Amino acid sequence: MLRASAACEAAGYPTSSLTCEGFFKQAAATSIGLGMRNIPLALVPGHIGNKSKDDLRRDILGVTMQAVVDNLTVATTAQADSSEPGARDIVVKGAFAEVNRYFYEHELADGLPIVPPTRDAIEEFLKFTDRQPDEMLGVLLPDRRAATVWNVAVNGVMAGCRPEYMPVLIALIEAMCDPKYGVEHSGNTPGGDTLIILNGPIIKELGFNYLQGALRDGFLPNTSVGRFWRLYLRNVAGFLLHKTDKATFGNTWRVVLAENEDVLKSIGWPTISADMGFKAGDNTVTISRYTGGGSLSSVTGSTPEEMLPYLADSLVKFNNWQITFTTSHGPGTLRPLAVITPIIAETIAKAGWKKSDVQKWLFEHARITAHDFERQLRDWNIRGVWDLKDDVTHGRIPKVFYESDDPNRLVPIVWKAEDFMIAVGGDPLRNNAYVFGHNGFLGFPTAKKIELPKEWERLLAAQAI
Amino acid sequence: MSKPNNDGYYQAYWPRGVRQQKTRALAPRLNSLEGKTVAQLWDYLFKGDEVFELLEEGLKKKYPGVKFVSWRDFGSTHGGDEKDALAALPKRFKELGVDAVISGMAC
Repeated sequence: MLRASAACEAAGYPTSSLTCEGFFKQAAATSIGLGMRNIPLALVPGHIGNKSKDDLRRDILGVTMQAVVDNLTVATTAQADSSEPGARDIVVKGAFAEVNRYFYEHELADGLPIVPPTRDAIEEFLKFTDRQPDEMLGVLLPDRRAATVWNVAVNGVMAGCRPEYMPVLIALIEAMCDPKYGVEHSGNTPGGDTLIILNGPIIKELGFNYLQGALRDGFLPNTSVGRFWRLYLRNVAGFLLHKTDKATFGNTWRVVLAENEDVLKSIGWPTISADMGFKAGDNTVTISRYTGGGSLSSVTGSTPEEMLPYLADSLVKFNNWQITFTTSHGPGTLRPLAVITPIIAETIAKAGWKKSDVQKWLFEHARITAHDFERQLRDWNIRGVWDLKDDVTHGRIPKVFYESDDPNRLVPIVWKAEDFMIAVGGDPLRNNAYVFGHNGFLGFPTAKKIELPKEWERLLAAQAI
Repeated sequence: MSKPNNDGYYQAYWPRGVRQQKTRALAPRLNSLEGKTVAQLWDYLFKGDEVFELLEEGLKKKYPGVKFVSWRDFGSTHGGDEKDALAALPKRFKELGVDAVISGMAC
């Protein structure tokens, strides 16, 4: 909403932005990143979702309306710019505890101790890239700050990464800067968190865990790279709780999921990386935001037909309100993810099924009634658009969503079979799965190739000594 | 007896990036809403349709000459095609004779 207001102000049109009470601080902080220190806000008391019609009328006419008039007719004074350190400034000198106190008190850390980013430590990271430290990888909202090779290294040091993870970190920030991903939405209400999926020989070269406990902390590369992601969102993009990060609940960062490529190769299924358009053997990162998820215990059966109904059912259950990204809100951008263990993938493959066969089956069977679909958006989520017939009639969504007037007809939760993403990892000998609810265009799957430095093998060997 | 200090000494660098945009001034404000045309922009979230209806009712009572261009004429300002939708606004405002904008909903 505020981005729309900023665009209008820049074009010469005065604006008033309707803002619920809980979002005032976020709006003020976001305004700065949009290049305007004081985009005028009109208060909507409390939260609009919980007001009766009478309460809404009283508050809008009694409070909000006058603020709208003031916003559009009274000029306000912008606050002065605050001075900030330079890109390569030392901000604190002292002992470990002093450095950590400074970083925490200045909102530069996540609540855990950080590794002090000293010149020596940063330079160790910079050895693992052929790119110049000041090279800009992009500009990140909401703060509109420069993402550079230098500050990738600084935050990598802080997160506890090892220097040789640097190529992975750079690829991640290139993905974060890709407009397709939508980093600017990272502070939204559902508090989704990014999952990083790693592919390629670099999984084994750097010692990523891709076996049992694949989504749990405990392995340095998986854990520290996940922490780096969140630190970078905080320090460079500018997402801070109680300000620009409005996650209602949120989670701790997710550790990196490395796929079990040995199993994928043995059954002839493509990796996530290949699904994203890369060649086999490429080192890649794929990022996407998930609002939550859960584990499926004991996916039992010896054939795909016996096992997949359980998976389909869970995909629907863990992507309930998220169907707003199927129609209504960023239509066609819902990409649910299922992570299945090697033994499940092997059992399905033994029946001659490819990954694409599984996706097609899920598209046909992971469905809900049209009535439930519309009720979710109309009655429960108060979305602006929820009528499947109207959407299909106007060509906004595929015809499969309105093939009859029967409210009990089954409709899919995604636009096409390949929208279901399927990764393979976790304990090889357990028949479990993990399903993620996706955040649609507010964290769309985006992949980047990891570029290694020319001297990669020599540098890596030197680290091992 | 004082304890030995083994907490080290560090010179730590700033982890943030330099802001890439100078701040700009807001658009000039109007003298009054009387006789002006106000565009309604909506992100299709949080009862904006009802809020705009109420604001329209109240503002028309206060400024009988104020006119509104409905959010229906612009589509959602928040979605997969947000950048294109926002870029198209100034031209559309010119065509519609818009003077000011009410944008919602942040909840």
